[in-house]
Amino acid sequence: MATVVLSFLATLLLFLGGLLDGLYLGSTGAIRAQRGDVIVFSNGARDSFLRSRITAEVRAAVQSAEGVDDVGGLGFVLLGAQVPTKTELADVTVAGYELPPKGVPQPPKDNQGTADSSLKDQGVGFGDTILVGPAESPITIIGFVDDTNFLQQGAVWVNLPTWRAVQNANRPDSAVADDVVQTLVVKGTGSGGRTLSEVVDTATADATSTLTIDDAVLALPGVKQQGQTFDQIIYSTFVVVLAVVGLFFSLLTIERIGLYGVLKAVGASTSRLFAGVVMQAVIVATIAFLAGSLLAIGAAMALPAKVPLQLIPSRFIFTFAGLLLAAVLGSAISLRRVTRVDPASAIGNAS
Amino acid sequence: MMPMFLALTEMRRAKVRFGLLAGAVGLLVFLILFQQALLSGLVNQFIGAIKNQSGQVLVFNEQARRNLDGSIILAPQQAAIAEVEGVEASAPLGQATFTVTAVVNDNDKEIDAVLFGYVIGQPGAPTSLIEGRLVEAADEAVASEKDRDAGFDIGDVVTVEPDGARITIVGVARDINYSVQPVLFVDFDTFEAAKRTRNPDAEAILPSVIAIKVATGSSAAEVAQRINEQVDGVEALTRQEAVDGSPGVSSVRTSFTVILGLFYLVVPLVTGLFFLIVTFQKASALTLLRAIGAPARSLVWSLLVQVVIVMTVGSLIAFGLYSVAIQGVSNLGVRVEVMPAVVTSLVVLALALLTSMVAVRRVLRLDPLLATTGAGVAL
Repeated sequence: MATVVLSFLATLLLFLGGLLDGLYLGSTGAIRAQRGDVIVFSNGARDSFLRSRITAEVRAAVQSAEGVDDVGGLGFVLLGAQVPTKTELADVTVAGYELPPKGVPQPPKDNQGTADSSLKDQGVGFGDTILVGPAESPITIIGFVDDTNFLQQGAVWVNLPTWRAVQNANRPDSAVADDVVQTLVVKGTGSGGRTLSEVVDTATADATSTLTIDDAVLALPGVKQQGQTFDQIIYSTFVVVLAVVGLFFSLLTIERIGLYGVLKAVGASTSRLFAGVVMQAVIVATIAFLAGSLLAIGAAMALPAKVPLQLIPSRFIFTFAGLLLAAVLGSAISLRRVTRVDPASAIGNAS
Repeated sequence: MMPMFLALTEMRRAKVRFGLLAGAVGLLVFLILFQQALLSGLVNQFIGAIKNQSGQVLVFNEQARRNLDGSIILAPQQAAIAEVEGVEASAPLGQATFTVTAVVNDNDKEIDAVLFGYVIGQPGAPTSLIEGRLVEAADEAVASEKDRDAGFDIGDVVTVEPDGARITIVGVARDINYSVQPVLFVDFDTFEAAKRTRNPDAEAILPSVIAIKVATGSSAAEVAQRINEQVDGVEALTRQEAVDGSPGVSSVRTSFTVILGLFYLVVPLVTGLFFLIVTFQKASALTLLRAIGAPARSLVWSLLVQVVIVMTVGSLIAFGLYSVAIQGVSNLGVRVEVMPAVVTSLVVLALALLTSMVAVRRVLRLDPLLATTGAGVAL
């Protein structure tokens, strides 16, 4: 029965962690995949890709800065796309690039794109021509890449002219001139003891706000807040696991006082008895984790695809480690009682 | 009297056990309360502006998949919508996020704000005004009550960056946030100017959706259906459909429903299991009590009193934790509310009493005769 309760708690922990991972990975893949060292936003965009606007003059200033090795434009536009033979629209992010992100080849020809593999679930196949946005801009899919989604929408990686054409045709309010990009991806080392970010922002006279890739990921809307909120709930749930394990092992220990007394009388040491209690807690936690994992996997399969649940190996490892730790600490609550078992009185009580 | 005496005496003698159970229940109920508040706060903060505007029907671009950010309505579509039977008034409603500078404690502070641009006197105006007035001219705005202290109170001036319009707050409304960000309802010309400030290359500023007032004698659902049948490339939704269909809202609801369901399952399981084990452990004592004349009813009441006390203490601990934790998510506009906490506590109490029936059944099956044979402990 205690194992059943812990199994549900393990499912809860995996489910909460899976949601957090799904939200994080599905929102940030396109940024995490960047091979540059920093991302340059226009000042005033508050580090928002969709609001940032880098002109040719600013780009020239960045390129000429000391310690800058390579610069590439990057831009996103979020749209619906018609997929051949499908009635449902697919959510896509058309991403224009110059420096290829991880797994993405060199920029393709106009109106061609490399799609994130998550779009396969929405019916996108190799060689398909999807029609993007109200203007039905055509993009032919010439390959797939993993884990590059942006704000929960499947990325389609295209060259910058195609991105501009798609954006200008479908979002005239966000139209950009031929030499304008949303942001710059910059490779470099910095110079004169200053970081690359400082070098870039100085070179543009603070017309830019430059972030490392990690900071740019955290600057995406909601990413930081989601992480903090879910982490709080997950750690609180671990405390509940600890309390539940502590509770049940304290009850079990009380029930076995007589038995422990007999074992002590025949020479078993306190440490040996306690090791047995801890071992039991570990076994219960392991069984609960396995059952909870199966439940979580079942729930993930049963839930609609729109729920951003992603169960990844590291989440299983983290949850298992957390459960084990909580189980060991919880079982330690009964240590005091095991230590205080008096063989003579315990046997007397038990008989 | 006897049930209460038995229950309290046993609890006094086993403070750690009962304390741990009350603590575990407290944490679990706290997590339920916190997540319920989070869910309602998140949903309100995501779509408050759609829920509390006057358009009874909102017409999106079909390609936008009910997402305001991805929707634009072309001029021919707008004209066609106005001609549909049952449309009394239709007007553009624009939405976009901007960087604005607000003044907080005499200091300029850049923050994100969502501008909703509507045509004055037409559908799309905020409906939950609590102070001040609606917009009557360019460069005026109605802001959210929640953001008053962030430089969005009546009389405050916010500047659209870079170097754009200076907008004066003339009214505040309740629950009009969008995407968990401050909202300013402005007239459409102010919205258009803000978009051109942000992007001088903009070729045209198109409305995100068309807001519709439905003519007397027609329902919003009927009008939405007619628009979908008669106008190409659009998706008309009633206001409630637009709220429920907003990106993120339904997935957030589904996710939290599963999480809350699991928590509601765990609380009574933990409680039921605890009391079952305790009943097993004190079986001999209970059998003896039965043998010396204690009625089974008293023993059952004693057990149920303990369940109620543990759940009440747990709920109080939960409410304390919830009151503190809610301060950490005050940016979602969630407030400490007693009634939802009481309802949740009563639900988990009922569930705990239900699962304790297994222990009650065990008590009722005790045979007093076994006390005389010494077999009462053989459980």
